[in-house]
Amino acid sequence: MSDLDDFKATYFDECSELLTELEEQFAAIEAGERDADRLNAVFRAIHSVKGGAGAFGFTALVGFAHAYETLLDYVRDGRVELTDDVVTLCIKANDIVADHVNAAKTGDELPADYGHEEKSRFDLIARGGSGAGSEDDDLNGEIIEEFDIEFTPVMVQLNIDDADEDTFEALPLEVAPGSWEVRFTPFRQLYARANDPLLLLRELSVLGEINVRAVMGEVPALSDFEPFGVYCSWEITLSAPDLTEAAIREVFEFVEGDCEITIVPLGGARISSGQPDAPSSHAAVQQSDYADLLALTDDEVAQVAARPAVSPAAPVAEEPALSFADLAEEISAATPPRVPVAAPVAKIVPPAAAKTGGDGEDGERRSVGVQSIRVDLDKVDRVVNMVSELVITQSMLTQQMDETLRARYTELVRGLEVLAQTTRGLQDSVMAIRAQPVKSVFSRMPRLVRELATKTGKKIKLETIGENTEIDKTVIEQLSDPLTHMIRNSADHGIEDPEKRRAAGKPDTGTIRLSAEQAGGNILIIVEDDGAGINRERVLQLARDKGLVAPDITPTDEQIDQLIFAPGFSTADAVSDISGRGVGMDVVLSNIKKIGGSVHVRSWTGKGSRMTLRLPLTLAVLDVMLVKVGENPYVVPLSSIVETIQCSGAMFERVPSGGQVLQVRGEYVQVIDVAQRFEMVSTKAADERFVVLCETEGSQKVALVVDDIIGQQQVVIKSLEENFERVDGIAGGTILGDGNVALIVDVQGLKVTQFHQNAA
Amino acid sequence: MTLRVLTVDDSRTILAMLHHTLSNAGFEVLQAEDGRQGLDVLMSQDVDVVITDINMPVMDGIEFIKNVRASGQYQSLPILILTTETSQDKRDQGKAAGGTGWIVKPFDPDKLISVIQRVVH
Repeated sequence: MSDLDDFKATYFDECSELLTELEEQFAAIEAGERDADRLNAVFRAIHSVKGGAGAFGFTALVGFAHAYETLLDYVRDGRVELTDDVVTLCIKANDIVADHVNAAKTGDELPADYGHEEKSRFDLIARGGSGAGSEDDDLNGEIIEEFDIEFTPVMVQLNIDDADEDTFEALPLEVAPGSWEVRFTPFRQLYARANDPLLLLRELSVLGEINVRAVMGEVPALSDFEPFGVYCSWEITLSAPDLTEAAIREVFEFVEGDCEITIVPLGGARISSGQPDAPSSHAAVQQSDYADLLALTDDEVAQVAARPAVSPAAPVAEEPALSFADLAEEISAATPPRVPVAAPVAKIVPPAAAKTGGDGEDGERRSVGVQSIRVDLDKVDRVVNMVSELVITQSMLTQQMDETLRARYTELVRGLEVLAQTTRGLQDSVMAIRAQPVKSVFSRMPRLVRELATKTGKKIKLETIGENTEIDKTVIEQLSDPLTHMIRNSADHGIEDPEKRRAAGKPDTGTIRLSAEQAGGNILIIVEDDGAGINRERVLQLARDKGLVAPDITPTDEQIDQLIFAPGFSTADAVSDISGRGVGMDVVLSNIKKIGGSVHVRSWTGKGSRMTLRLPLTLAVLDVMLVKVGENPYVVPLSSIVETIQCSGAMFERVPSGGQVLQVRGEYVQVIDVAQRFEMVSTKAADERFVVLCETEGSQKVALVVDDIIGQQQVVIKSLEENFERVDGIAGGTILGDGNVALIVDVQGLKVTQFHQNAA
Repeated sequence: MTLRVLTVDDSRTILAMLHHTLSNAGFEVLQAEDGRQGLDVLMSQDVDVVITDINMPVMDGIEFIKNVRASGQYQSLPILILTTETSQDKRDQGKAAGGTGWIVKPFDPDKLISVIQRVVH
């Protein structure tokens, strides 16, 4: 199937949602919320993972998910008790499922026995729980074989139940090619399930040459006629080369138990349509069913009577000739008047009557909860982009209305104001489409904390606050790694061993608090712990050893804390072996910077520490300062700019390494000449140029020298990588109001972080 | 006349595959993610055949079938149950609720079409 890859993509997409759902549900289950809804939800999640995996032939995944699902099913219906051990096993199983899914996705091979231990534990628990021993053999993985071939049609083998086996076991299964006699007597319930003898006969006629004889029982007067009643059975002779009993049985697959069927091989001879004993034998069945009919309760009678459209004449007149067309010739002419045995009620109920019947529920159904549609993210992105452009155009228009114009065109001004309001509203609404609760990321963290606690032998609990806070999906996607690093740091280096905590007068169990809140145009994500805080002595010592801080400099406590973000600080393995913080913090920083956010750390010795991520609500629009370098416009993100200084008044100093530093209020700042950096020719004399003083992370500053400052505005960010290629020092591009393209300066990227140079 | 099929399943993957198979076979396909949505579709549109999963949130397949059959309007609407190999008892429940037939997951496209043709007029 050529679309298989698309389906697979959908499947893996769905799997990742389902796995997140599992995490969430099990976090709650672990916390003691073991209600039926949660159990049903986890069962369904695994069930869906398995269902899709089966379709693509991911055998290993199907096998594992199947065993897991069976256990969950038993838990769900109370056969297995959900003890803490079972919960722990399930949480482990979730990881294994995730690994299987991942392996299926990447095409990697997991060890053949991967997850077998857990699988056999499912089996054990399920057997123990069921008490009945070993009837559920499919737990042993036999099921896997069924999935060896993609899209295996497995219907026939699976649907012969015991009762029918008894009936047919005397018959040889392999009969010589030829003819069969099929006797078919429907029961009442066959109609109630929307099966129809007509369709079965039609199906049989597809198999081979068919001769049908309707055997009429006692047909009531039309006034007593009951639409779902049984008044008729059929004798069919069927012949075709190589026709097997299985093929015939398959036709009746859906109605097994709802009818009486006898299939007898004729060995090539046709049965006479007037076989004497057949009608009487079937008459007995009919009679008993008819007796059922007579035994209708008052309610049922009322129901029948209430069906308005079963007008006596209608069924006889309309049904037979039309739908029986292809069979009509085959049916013996001697057959008594054809009463439409299976006349389906709905076909002849006039719409008005049907409507009345549904009214009660109709009202109820209107009160359905939130409705949603699933939209390709690309489409939303396009809308977001266009709305952002609209916002910018609108503000550009407003800016161009100078005072004289305002005075002259009051109506126009009013119109522009309304436009401004509407555009803002539109922008908010569009952004809201892409917004997602941070829950999707937060929900992965309990497991992480659990693992870390086990690994480190510490007692740690995780509190999450504000998980319904919404952020743009593009931002959320970038959050997982930084949060993981930060929480790992808190658990690894922040929270102390239970003994140490006790000695410090703290509870044995340490707390990591993960919270999200909206603060103006930003989202704050805070990771706090009540651990030991940053070991500043250690951090400073390491920084000195690595040459990050010159020996004669004494940084403030806050500056030391910020050192953990310094690139290079955390790359050495030695760091993670001591109790200083710093594992992967430069990764946190660069990830957060990438999405236009910032990170700040605060620490209180002996009491704990707090990391604050400040994130933009969206990545699409950026407030910038428009500057000129050579002939070209550049933009610098406003969030990073501290101040702008005229070069003529600035105090530049040369450093031995050949670079320049700028002295600003006693602080030395690295100078970067943007023109030089991008190999362009400056258009202005040195002292006519400007310095844009920017703050990078860790409160380090950098002075960008540009030729001119044009002003502030909002821009829509366009990815350079998508449209061109990655360029160091450039964070992206944007299209200005006049149609020119301006590049967005990546301040952090331009800066070469060298503490010792600052100190020079 | 184009047959209109309503598929009800909470798995997007299965819905996508059903949609592909059915629309390729020339059917018109309506979709719902749970039984409740399925009922909503049936309230507003005429459908020739329904294919429904059993395990779904909000309203599962069994409830869904019961509701459809109870509605009076759809007593002879063919409803096929999409089941997995493990759910023999679910299939029986589905049948008891009024299901017409079943399709086994993972389904074979040709088989799926022939099963549908087997139950529609």
